[in-house]
Amino acid sequence: MKEPRTRRFEDVTVGETLPPLEFDVTLTSLVMYAGATWDFHRYHYDADFVAKLGMLAPFMDGQMAGALLARQLMQWGGADAFVRKLSYRLRGTVYAGDSIVLHGTVSGKCVEEGRTLALCTLSMTKSDGTQIVRNATAAVELGRSS
Amino acid sequence: MSTRISDELKSWIGREATYTAPEELGRAAIRYFALALGDDNPIHHDEALGQSTRHGGIIAPPTLVCETNQIFPNTPDENGYIGHSWPLPLSSSRFMRGGNEYEFHQPTRPDDRITVTWRIVDIYERDTRKSGAMIFVVSEARYTNQRGELLAVNRETNIHQP
Repeated sequence: MKEPRTRRFEDVTVGETLPPLEFDVTLTSLVMYAGATWDFHRYHYDADFVAKLGMLAPFMDGQMAGALLARQLMQWGGADAFVRKLSYRLRGTVYAGDSIVLHGTVSGKCVEEGRTLALCTLSMTKSDGTQIVRNATAAVELGRSS
Repeated sequence: MSTRISDELKSWIGREATYTAPEELGRAAIRYFALALGDDNPIHHDEALGQSTRHGGIIAPPTLVCETNQIFPNTPDENGYIGHSWPLPLSSSRFMRGGNEYEFHQPTRPDDRITVTWRIVDIYERDTRKSGAMIFVVSEARYTNQRGELLAVNRETNIHQP
């Protein structure tokens, strides 16, 4: 059996970068997230409705941004990882049709209540350069050797 | 200073609302959420792999526990919204999400039956460079499982433009 890929606390270097996560936000992906979270608000699929509110297109729920940030952290950390803290502010709106990329860096390491944590700083940027999230902070508990 | 925040609005600080899911979260809900995010991380769907990790089984993506629309005994309103909201005495022309602060105390698992307690922790007014005076409503949700164990805390800020 293949060993689960897990990043160990000892192997993490402060300053290392997480693999970037690219995501195309389409009407389909908005509808999928809306369905998965029982969020049937017209914000996420009704172009005429959102146009009346002055919005460019159906748009992403704020917690979907958090879900994508968490996905990036969990994939980087591997099968033993668990996100302990995640904090972000939204600086703009992500619309259907936008492409976004998430970047992350390890900004520190610590042991807190016996937990081995990698502290990360994350961002989310649209392909046109608009920053949606800047300096989100996270603590990811990682597996350790022995 | 806080001219737009009436005493009546202020009295909402500290209000609580609790809801319990009628059933367990379930593997399908976890798989659906992961699929929507393009997330193929096996820890969310591969039971054998999950058992070989320190989690001892598959776990939900961290923020799924903070999505609790399905818990509420509501039918969709005229705009399709079905989740919890506070009927605040506040007329806002525009509403925005400000951001979230999550703390995850333990992973949420397929068999967990989730209870959420929402509480308004603060309501304040602030002048913003972009849009002028705005009213910030800070809510905190605490999520527990069927054993009363704390799963997560979610502090979220919603911004209303008067």
